Amino acid sequence: MGNPIIDLLTSTYFLEIAVFPGLLSIAILGALLGWMERKLTARVQLRVGPLYASPAGGILQMFADIIKLLFKELTIPDGADRFFFIMSPVTALIIGAALLGLIPFAPGIQIANIEVGLPVFLAIVTLSPTIVLLAGWSANSKFPFIGGLRALFQQTAYEIPLWLSTLGVVIVTGTLSLTGIIEYQQNSGWLIVPQLLGAFLFLVTSTAEMERLPFDLPEAESEIMMGWQAEYPGPLFMLAQGPAFVKLYAFSALFTTIYLGGYLGPAPIPPIVWFFLKTILIITLIMLFRSTFPRVRLDQLLRQGWTTLLTLSIANIIIAYFLVVGIPAI
Amino acid sequence: MVAQGIPEETGYILFLFAATILLVVVVRIVISPRDPRPTPEKRAPFESGQISAGPGRTRFIIQYYPYILMFVVYDVIAMFLFAWALNLRALGSTGTIPVLIFMVVALPPLAYALHLANQRENW
Repeated sequence: MGNPIIDLLTSTYFLEIAVFPGLLSIAILGALLGWMERKLTARVQLRVGPLYASPAGGILQMFADIIKLLFKELTIPDGADRFFFIMSPVTALIIGAALLGLIPFAPGIQIANIEVGLPVFLAIVTLSPTIVLLAGWSANSKFPFIGGLRALFQQTAYEIPLWLSTLGVVIVTGTLSLTGIIEYQQNSGWLIVPQLLGAFLFLVTSTAEMERLPFDLPEAESEIMMGWQAEYPGPLFMLAQGPAFVKLYAFSALFTTIYLGGYLGPAPIPPIVWFFLKTILIITLIMLFRSTFPRVRLDQLLRQGWTTLLTLSIANIIIAYFLVVGIPAI
Repeated sequence: MVAQGIPEETGYILFLFAATILLVVVVRIVISPRDPRPTPEKRAPFESGQISAGPGRTRFIIQYYPYILMFVVYDVIAMFLFAWALNLRALGSTGTIPVLIFMVVALPPLAYALHLANQRENW
């Protein structure tokens, strides 16, 4: 073996962290999802959307936007807490990347196959409203502060139904490992069939967690002017936009993994292609929510989260329980 | 990852470390000095075109307080159910009875708290 640096750079391990499930692909896919969202929303509203940035329907538009935003002036509002103001979007991006490190993209292509993948994913996600509050507080401005507090209230509404909807999966499969859940589905079929209610609840609560319409209260652009992102100057605004798309990618990948069989699929098409086909399907579905539903009010979200969603998730646990134990003969 | 002789958890920490390093480098580039021309107007907090007034971090009345209290209690209770769910196959229906008692104890207070929290006077 020759040069140790070349050996390191071409090792599978380095490539996994730096290129494919890892950092480079997350950055590029995040930007492409931004393009996809703009194009899809435009099509729904009978507009054209990004068009000129490349021959293929403006697919390079987001990269052009990134370059444009990088050259903007950096103005930080008076009285802002500079450290937290700058580090909050960065921390949110690290949280998004940490989520994707747990997802099995194909057999063997996974950064960390840890035993408790599912709760770790949900536990890391719990941090992000706190980061939003910190960003909103540090800006020393009213709209970001309101946005940050809304993120905090919103978390109390969706957090418990989110955990309880995945509890159904844990009951049925008897494992907390994401690879274990896929192995179970290999033998017993996709979990969306026995856990249809759970899948629906997970989709709703994860949309609320991603702060996307109809639950985008912390950054409601028509009410509080992008909420916690309002004060960010161009270059930092670019970083603050990133976590939304990385989380969209991560949650769609998790939905695919725990309900749609992950990378499982008929043989001629490789597993990784199956995985991305299903993930893009879910991403498209969540993006269509954005163009379909109006925004809910905060008190409506809290009330429905604590009554309807919580009751349905308890019903889902009962369904999962009887699926495992069997219905007792009376 | 195990195939390359590195434990999964170490691999995950290495990944997070790499992500942090990369992002700190990106932030260094992003906030690098560039011909700044700040004016008091540019640096004032944004208030939809109005001249901004008062401090940004104002005192804030915490609304929906009952929901937050319920969250603090029932989020922890929901975590306990994971331990039960993981071992449900091994425990069978014998493990269910304690959990059932637990839920019977936990759910009626939740219903009463919800009844109070949903009243607009208590927000």
